[in-house]
Amino acid sequence: MDPLLTFIVILVGMYGLSTSKNIIKSVFSVTIMESGVILLFLNLGNLEGGSIPIITQASEIIADPLPQALMITTIVIGSTVTALALMLCIKVFHHYGTVEWREILRRGGGK
Amino acid sequence: MIRNGFLILLLLTLFSVFYFSLQDLAEFGKNSAQYFLDHGLEETGSNNLVTSILLDYRLFDSLFEAGILLIAVSGIIWISKHEIEEKNAEFMIDKFKTPDLFVTFSRLVYPLMLAFGFYIIINGHVSPGGGFQGGAIVATAILILYYIDAEKETNIKMIVTIEKYLYLTILVIASLSFFTRGTFFTNIFDPNTFDTGTQSIYLIVLNVLVGFKVALGLWTIFTAFLKEGR
Repeated sequence: MDPLLTFIVILVGMYGLSTSKNIIKSVFSVTIMESGVILLFLNLGNLEGGSIPIITQASEIIADPLPQALMITTIVIGSTVTALALMLCIKVFHHYGTVEWREILRRGGGK
Repeated sequence: MIRNGFLILLLLTLFSVFYFSLQDLAEFGKNSAQYFLDHGLEETGSNNLVTSILLDYRLFDSLFEAGILLIAVSGIIWISKHEIEEKNAEFMIDKFKTPDLFVTFSRLVYPLMLAFGFYIIINGHVSPGGGFQGGAIVATAILILYYIDAEKETNIKMIVTIEKYLYLTILVIASLSFFTRGTFFTNIFDPNTFDTGTQSIYLIVLNVLVGFKVALGLWTIFTAFLKEGR
């Protein structure tokens, strides 16, 4: 897959982040951007005809293990950040009774 | 409408920036992959090169990755504190609404998932997997327990305490190499004097600790959400 396609995934996430009216949809958009970043890094580390980065007798060309190790970090941190954001979202819902950005502003949020 | 068009224009500009920045990355990865293929097994004792990077070359990164997981879990517990400390906090899963087929099947799958998770953790230096991935599988297996027994109570405070001590243990074990080799955050056993089999002991111990820590962290997050969403 071309790395440019992963840029499109990131941009879809950015578009969703700037247009969504719901907090949960904003959290989802951040997750989509993160998936785009993960795909981009895995793409860049992939070599032509390379096998998985595990040493066996037959392995001569392998995919670069460094981006894969970095992306484990991204996945773990991304999942925890999503969990934290959703927990805050639950708290906002308990406090204001809604998860729409405009409705929260109208009910006196952000002051 | 004008605002939307402006947004799409901005995104297209970003796309062009991405496109031109990609031109310099053509040779990315070719040299480092060759280096890891040549030296990875001798220097770290791990067949799985991703594990060799996570637990040896860039162990400093992995330690703070586990630390961020601990901090996020603490944050989630703190945000939902008032709800969790209430007595008689009922779980969201209703035993009478869960289909019987699902409960029976969960009982069947639960030990298999647990065994698979432990396999992934312990075999992390030979086959695909490792502490973080296996920990996620073990956590998922534990979550199935809630479907089997909906009234199960979880002592969150105890789990978080165990997780903190596990993290401290990981830090101590990672720093032990200072006394044996003179450098922090690398394998305890010197590759010049020990063979790869001995070196893998360190990898297995660290993988198991990280796996349990991740499993406990994810379990805590899930329990906090269950108690919150009454």
